[in-house]
Amino acid sequence: MTDELGALTTIFTEFYYWITVVLMFLIHVGFCMYEVGASRYKHHQHTLMKNTILIPLVTVTWFLFGWWIYWAFPTGPGLAPSIMNGSDALITDDSAFSAVYYKATSQLMAINLGDHISGVFWAAFLLFSWTAASIVSGAVIERITTFAFGILAIAIGSVFWTIDAAWGWHFDGWMLKLLGYHDAYASGVIHAIAGGFALGILVVLGPRIGKFTSSGEPRNIGPRNPWLVVIGLFLIYTGFWGFYAACNIPIFNLGPEYGMEGVTYFTATNIYVTPTTLSGITFNFLMSLSGGLLAGYVISKGDPFWTYSSGLAGIICASAGNDLYHPIQSMIIGMIGVVIAYKLHYWVERKFKIDDAVGAVAVHGYAGFVGLVICGFVLNGYPSSGYSVGAMWDGATYASINPLGMFIGAIIMFFVLGMIPGFIIAKILHGMGKLRIPREAEIAGLDYEIMEAAKDDEKSVASATR
Amino acid sequence: MATVTNWIDHLSASEVQGAVYPGVGSEGILVILGFIIWIGWHVITAKQESEKLQKLARQRRGPNDWKSNVTDG
Repeated sequence: MTDELGALTTIFTEFYYWITVVLMFLIHVGFCMYEVGASRYKHHQHTLMKNTILIPLVTVTWFLFGWWIYWAFPTGPGLAPSIMNGSDALITDDSAFSAVYYKATSQLMAINLGDHISGVFWAAFLLFSWTAASIVSGAVIERITTFAFGILAIAIGSVFWTIDAAWGWHFDGWMLKLLGYHDAYASGVIHAIAGGFALGILVVLGPRIGKFTSSGEPRNIGPRNPWLVVIGLFLIYTGFWGFYAACNIPIFNLGPEYGMEGVTYFTATNIYVTPTTLSGITFNFLMSLSGGLLAGYVISKGDPFWTYSSGLAGIICASAGNDLYHPIQSMIIGMIGVVIAYKLHYWVERKFKIDDAVGAVAVHGYAGFVGLVICGFVLNGYPSSGYSVGAMWDGATYASINPLGMFIGAIIMFFVLGMIPGFIIAKILHGMGKLRIPREAEIAGLDYEIMEAAKDDEKSVASATR
Repeated sequence: MATVTNWIDHLSASEVQGAVYPGVGSEGILVILGFIIWIGWHVITAKQESEKLQKLARQRRGPNDWKSNVTDG
């Protein structure tokens, strides 16, 4: 870098994403605390380890192939031609933003003096991957094996969510072009898919022992440490700020990008390279959080676990369009999402005997799904991209945002890339006898031996001090 | 192995080489190593976990037996 202004912009962008990664780390800290707080005492340490171990597993696989998938699959393949090379095959040629640069063997996937962005951008997406896997982790506590969870975490964190990101979050994605899909802060591409994936697993995994009576009535297994749950959710809120910032490009000159002769317009953009402001999304983040908290407090009659979770669900529901909504719209959308998610959680629990231990399917899956559908109506007619606005199903141009396209997008996220793969992989693991821990181990508690050893240590120390 | 042996020479070259890690050109081998470590981890830990769970299951503990193991803190 020899031009000072260019260097400043590049290094600012590099530092910007780096900071978002640090902030998003708090999401995972929060999820760990939240899950441990929700689990019973005799499963605490196993619960913690299960969620922790997804960090290295998803990271390593994200390096080996996950990041490549994001750059290779925007065209489907075979569904809509790339605006970069005109082909609807995998984007593996030498065009700009090709997946060829993000193979694990690429020299850009390392310290490279010619590239200041790949690593921090890779990491920002990686933290989204952890989040996707961590959402699933909470739903399945106290009865899944760590082996099975590891495989499932890699599947959602390094394969399925990155396919949906390529399809619906990449500026060249076929879902933008054909459907007019818009999901600025990931109602669908992270939350709906992860919630759907968790639901698919839960169908196969079954409930915790004792969750349902012999007549099928659900029993409440509430959080054992509400304080840990509360702090965990506050940390997730905090990390979510980093998530929102990471979904933006901090500074971009849209004039030349859109091919406008002589126009210079520097702005922050969302992931689709359409203009927004960090200031504007700050309004919406806080108003949708508030809408969620207000609605959650009412619908749960002041239950702390659901009220805190509803704050998160409020943000998740409004996230699809939080780059463009008015703050009051964000708040109302957050409230609607919470009411639907809460009601659906208990209906599905009773009707299908689904034991979602932390309400992850509701908070992330249902709220995310509803958020996409609402976005289709509220942002109906907005362009899904700044490059070239066209009609639905055209393929060569970008369709405008519309209710039908967003509904189809929600189905793709929740069911096609979420619930169905989760169900199939869980079925395979179940068939191998590797999905669920033995009944006797679940009754005894997964931490039994660790606790027994700690007690023996305590006795030993006590006897030495007499 | 060293890709850079003198920063002044390196940065004043007509075309600065971007990659500076040791062993530039050996990325393929490193990635294969990464795959082996990743898969190997699953194989080892699956065996460990299976043995641990079977041992615990054989003990047939009751749902409240863990309470006798609560430490004083």
